[in-house]
This record gives sequence, C-alpha cells and structure tokens, in this order.
Amino acid sequence: MPDCDAMIENMPMLLTESLDPVQRELTHQHIETCPKCAREWAAYKETWQTLDTLPELEVPARVKQRFLAEIDPDLRTNVVPFRSGRAARWLAQAAAVVIVAGGAFYAGNRLAPRFRPTPTGVELIGAQTLPPATPYYSIAETRVLPAASINPQIEGRPDIQNVQFTDASASSDQIGVSFDITSHVTVTGRPTDKSMVSLLRYVLENEDRESPSRSRAIDWVRATYSRLDKPDPQIAEALANVLRNDQHQGVRINAADTLQSMQSAMTDSTRDALVEALKNDPNPAVRLKAVEALAKLARSGAVLDPEMVDTLQKKASQGDENVYVRVKAAEALRSIQPR
Amino acid sequence: MIRTSIATVVLLSATQLFGATFPVLTASNRVVRELQIDPSGSVWIDNAFGSVDVIGGDGKLVSVTIDRTITAPDAASMKEAADNVVLSFEGDTKVRLIHTILPETHAGHWNAVVNYVVRIPRGVNVKIASKVAEHIRVSHVKGSVTVNGFAGTVIMDGVVGASAISLVNGRIIYDYLQRPVANARVQAVNADIDIYPPPNSNFDWIATTINGDILTTFPVRAPRFSGTLFRGQIGSGGPTINTETLMGRVLVQAKGTKSSSARSMRVYNSRHQPGPGDVLLQPPEKIQVPFVVGDFVSAASVADITIGEVRGNAHVEVGAGEVELEAVLGQCMVTLMGGPLRLGDIMGALFAHTGAGDILVRVARMGGQVTTDGGLLLVKAALGPMTLRSGGGDIVVQQTSAAIDAQTSSGDVTLTGDPSKKTLKVTARTLQGNIILNVSPRFKADIDATILTSNPDANEMHIDFNGISVSREKVGKKTRIHATGKINGGGERVELYAVDGDINISAKTITPIKVMSPKR
Repeated sequence: MPDCDAMIENMPMLLTESLDPVQRELTHQHIETCPKCAREWAAYKETWQTLDTLPELEVPARVKQRFLAEIDPDLRTNVVPFRSGRAARWLAQAAAVVIVAGGAFYAGNRLAPRFRPTPTGVELIGAQTLPPATPYYSIAETRVLPAASINPQIEGRPDIQNVQFTDASASSDQIGVSFDITSHVTVTGRPTDKSMVSLLRYVLENEDRESPSRSRAIDWVRATYSRLDKPDPQIAEALANVLRNDQHQGVRINAADTLQSMQSAMTDSTRDALVEALKNDPNPAVRLKAVEALAKLARSGAVLDPEMVDTLQKKASQGDENVYVRVKAAEALRSIQPR
Repeated sequence: MIRTSIATVVLLSATQLFGATFPVLTASNRVVRELQIDPSGSVWIDNAFGSVDVIGGDGKLVSVTIDRTITAPDAASMKEAADNVVLSFEGDTKVRLIHTILPETHAGHWNAVVNYVVRIPRGVNVKIASKVAEHIRVSHVKGSVTVNGFAGTVIMDGVVGASAISLVNGRIIYDYLQRPVANARVQAVNADIDIYPPPNSNFDWIATTINGDILTTFPVRAPRFSGTLFRGQIGSGGPTINTETLMGRVLVQAKGTKSSSARSMRVYNSRHQPGPGDVLLQPPEKIQVPFVVGDFVSAASVADITIGEVRGNAHVEVGAGEVELEAVLGQCMVTLMGGPLRLGDIMGALFAHTGAGDILVRVARMGGQVTTDGGLLLVKAALGPMTLRSGGGDIVVQQTSAAIDAQTSSGDVTLTGDPSKKTLKVTARTLQGNIILNVSPRFKADIDATILTSNPDANEMHIDFNGISVSREKVGKKTRIHATGKINGGGERVELYAVDGDINISAKTITPIKVMSPKR
C-alpha cells in the first residue's frame, strides 16, 4: 500500500502518544485495514512492552558527570531527571481505561464501532453486539471523534475526568474537548483465553497500588489459575513482577504464595523473582513463601540453576535467618540432583 | 620427569538392562600421569561427578590415575561425550590443578563419571571441589585439606593438618589415627557428621544442629549452649573441632567405645539457664494423630504436628515446622519460631504466635491473641475479644462478635462485624495499606478514623453512614484525613488508622457465618 511507509514512520510517535490527533486517527484507521501494518504495529507494541519490563539502571555518577560536561552549558541547566514511576504509570492506566470505557460508551451509543468480541471467547458485557467485520478492540489508544458521530443524548451520567479544551484556530473553526471517561466494563472469557490472560496480567501489574482489591485480585487469580494443569506463564510473570516491585508486604506474600501453586507456569524470570525474594525481601513471610515455592520446584524434579542452589545453600547456613526458612532451604537442597 | 600413559580400555556393549528397551553403550578409559610437586605445594582437584581418593605417602611426585566412564544411548552421543569430557592438568610445582572439564549443557543423553586416585607426598596441601561423588576420601595427609562437595560421603582418614569440609547432602566421617593437633571445621546441611578421635584426645569441641542430636562418648568439660551452639572441652582442650550441620546428627565417638554409649548434649542439665530459642535443643517430632485425650504438650526443634482433636489444653512449642490442630477443647497456646499454623475450633483462650508464616484460625470461641512477625492472619469467626498483630501481612477477620484489636505494619486489615451485634469495639491500624470494616446498616459506633497519606488524591475515606464529619490537614509532607462522628446514635469506639491507604466503612447486609455448637 502506498501509505504504509508513512504509517510505519508514524508508529513510534503513536506509541509515545506524541502524534497529533488527526494523524493518530488516520494511522489507527490504516492499521485496522492493512494486515501488513497491523503486524508491524503489533511488533512495535510488543517491543515497547518488552522495554517496559527491563530494569531501570541508575546512571553511574561518573558517566553522568562526563555527559553533562560534554553538553552545552546552556542546555545543562535544562537537564532535569526523567521521572518515570507513578505519573507515567497513571497515564498508561488512564489510557487503558479510556479505551475500555470509551469503547463501551461509544459502542453503547452505536457510534462508529471499533471493537468486537474477540474470537477466543472474550466478550464485553454492557457493550452492544457489534458488526462482525469491525476490527479488534485495542487497549492502548486514544481517539478523536467527530462531534457529529456522537449521540446528542448522553445517557447514564458517565464519569468524565481530566477535561481539556482546544480553541479554534485561524485556519480552522474546529474546537476540541478532550477527557477521560470511565464506565464499568466486564470482560468475560475462559481463563486460558489469550485476551483474558493479557488483561489479567495488565491488571495485576498496573492496578492502583493502594487499591483494596489488589490482594483480593491475587487471591482470585490463585483460585482460578491454580486449578489449571498448565496456567499461562504470563500470569506467573505478572505475579513475579508484583513480587519484585510491590511495596505492600501483604500483596507480596500473596504473590509468592500464588506462584507456589503455579509451578507449571514458571519461567526463568519467575524463578529469578523467587530467588531474589528469598535473598532480599525484608518480610520473613515472603522469604518463607519463596523458599517453599523453590522447595516444591526442587521436589518436582525441575532443574535449578547454580545461582538458585547457591542461594538455597547460603540460606540454609545463614544463622540469623528464620529457622523455618533455613529448614525449607535444606529440604529443597535435599531434593536437588546437580547437573 | 613426567610419565604419561593412556589406556583406552573398552567399548563395552549394547545392553538390554532389566527390561530397558534402549541399548546402552559404555566406554571407559584410563589416564595416568605423574607430576612434580614441591614438598609444601598444593594439589587442587576439581571433579564434578565421580569419586576422588587422595592418598598421602613418602613419594615426591603427584601420581594421578583417572578413570573416565561414559554411558550413552548411541554412538553419536558417545562421541559427543568423549569429545566434551576433557581432563585438564595445569599449574606448576607449587600448585597443581587437575580438572575435569564438562560442557555446561549438552544435547545428548549421555552420562560421564570420572574417578580419581591421586597419590601425593604426605606434606602437600589438598583442595577438592565436587558436585556428586560416591565418596571423597583423603587419607594419611599432613598438609591442610579443603573439601567442598554437594552430595556424597566424605571420609577423612588420618588427616593431620588443618581441614575445612563443606557438604550439602550425604555423610562426613572424620577418622583420626592420632590425637587431633590442628583445627577442623566440618559444615553440612543435610548430612550426619561422625568424628572418631583417640580416647586420649584433647580438643575444644563446637557443635550445632537443629534437626539432629549432638552426641559423644567422651566426658565433656564445661558443656554449655549459646542458642543452638554447643561448646565443650574434651580432655584438657586444644585445637578446635567445629562440627555444624543443620538437619543431621553430630557424633564425636572415642575410638574403642560403642556409639550406643553416646550421650546427648542437647538434654538439659540442672545448670542450664533457659533462654530464647531453647526449643531448638529439643529433639524433632512428627505427630499425626486423630485425637489426644487430656492435655497435649509438645516441644520440638523441628516438627510436623497434625492433631484432629485435643480433648484438653494444648501447649505446643516448635522451632521450625507446621502445626495443625483441628479442635482444642481447652486452652490453646502454640508458639513457632517459624512456620505456618492452622487452628480449627478453639474452645478455650487462644495464644498463637509464629516468627514467620500465616496463621489461620477457624473459630476462636473465647478470643485471644494471635501474632506473626510476618505473614497473613485469617480468623474466620472470633466469638471472643481478639488481639491480632502482623509484622507485615494482611489481617482478615471474616466475622467478629467481640472486640477486635488488629495491627499490621504493612498490609490490609479487613474486618466484618457479626450482623447480630449492634455495636463492637474495633481498633485497626495499618502502617501501609487499607482498612475495610464491613458492618450491618444498623451498626452503632463512635467513629474515629484517620488516614495519613502522602497522596491525598489516591487515598480516600469511604463511610456509608451519615453523621460523620471529615477534616483534612497538612502534617509535614503528608495529609491527615480525619473522620469522626456517631453513627446510628453512637456506640462502642471504632478507631481506625491507615497510612497511605483507604479506609472503607461499609454498611451492608451481611450473611452471618454459622458457628456450630461445641461438641463436648
């Protein structure tokens, strides 16, 4: 297609949400109709997600100093630390909420339907049945809607937040109103559906840290996925990220406990999270759950890498470690066949 | 100066082993080398899989005989193994390193075992690293000896010099042919340690174990424990023999005596001053019984206790383990230094503590105190007043009919009041997390709820009752949200305090949990 190159060029800016609204909409529309660009876009998103999972490294002071010394002194005053963390996460979350909620609102008003139930069985309750030809509902977009396509009867008092206005310009008499809109959406599907797994992973990793439902969400994941013979590794990886990053000790205990019941879904990264928790978590219950999970893994005959064995050995011998953690580490070591 | 002989012995057979349906090829070859060494030099042996015998003698050379045996399902795997299992001889006359090099991973299903017999001048120092060995034996060596192994049996036979032995699984046997004259440090995780010195020996003995016992046939002077660490003097004292194992037994047996005459050092003596952690000096226990008539008293270092019903009081003290008491008709006092605790229907007063782990209580009829230094606390039904503490972890009370005092340093506190109770005294604190109090719409209380937060937009107070006034004020860099007032005309005091979390007092119709009448 003639537009493809231009659209592909737009993709990095689309990812960072720095494309202007018109171009953004055009690019989205193109992606939805062009299989080649859809593949390209999926690859971009996957790469972006992978980048997001990489650890943030502190720039060594020496390197930072040399870098600042090299740049223009005028610019130096403009150099400020780039802060990721909460604000960025909230933006991402807000974006996700917008597409989910906005989509439901949009569909509910029969406006330019842009999503449909996935063929894997996930469906949106509360959204109207959509024409089968419409593309998948994507969960990381913002969109621009012409006012004419909006039903003038706004029903259900949708929760509108973060409202911004764009004035008319000399060249155009168009004005704009931007907002985040939230409504309650239920996604149903089988626990093994890819879309459901991705959604749950997103929820586990991104849900508001202060949300009371966080521990409950992990309990629910355990109840649902520990029953499966082979739960999706994505769920285990999401729990591993919770175990690594959550400040809430009760949540970390829950995450480690749930991982214990999902042995068959464990990846190297998941195991590393358990080892890290066993080594460094200040809460003895988290270390206890981690060592229990590793002991169970060892009993199942899984091959533990040398770092895991070394960590277990150190824990078993560590005089100031909780005695139960030491005993469980010894139990794990007893089951290991070195290779 | 160096003589090398290599003899490839056999390419054995294609075998059908006891019903095995695949052929097994076995090939062995032997490598013999002689290497010069200084009289006070060192020999380092690194052999991951296979036995090692090091024998001290009067010669001046290091004489190495290595047998390599490869088992493979087919010729291709056999070739891969033969190419990849390599022997390496490095170093000089000061340090000789003899090394079996194995690939980190390999595709074929082959297996290689390499056995070493190394003869050395008696005064040479020895260092051995191993993963799995049928045995590692060092005999008649006067130099220092270091052994680091994962699994197998380590035998020190007539080793005179200082030694350091570390083993994870297996057994360590230290046989002295003469009185110990150098320090020995013997460490294990899942291994028994047996030391056999002559009866006229003089040394200082240090020993520790959690799951095993500390036994000796020697008379011990000044025996004393510091925590789990035992110290004593054999004869007039001398070099230190340090024997540490986590899950195994330590035996120091004078040659010529019987092991059956060995005495346990862990048994309390009248001079012992009880201290924290003394339960670790008790023998391990595994108890699984459907019921106990009368009181149940148990103290064990490592325990796994499951009892259906205790028809009296229960008093359990455990170092590390898992305890499950399905019903206790009397008082229940359980203390674990670490491990999970599951308690069913507790009729009498309850006191339960663990140093690390979750505690689940199904019914606490008289209430009591339940604490963990880290872990989740879940009480399904509290019929009497309860104090709940967690060093970090959620606290959940699914139904309380009496006063509750719950505190956690990090975790959510979720409490649900018995809908038949018009008012209840509640104190809940979390230093990081949310508090959720579920009560019936008719619940009466004097509310005093505080949120201290660094993010006042994220943390909120939700109270489903009228009559509450809420104030906000800056306290340093934080914001205090304070709600006070009487609900339904007032009642018992409900004091809630959350740092960086929400407080939610929810009025809803609660389905009561039915607690069966106690069976007496």
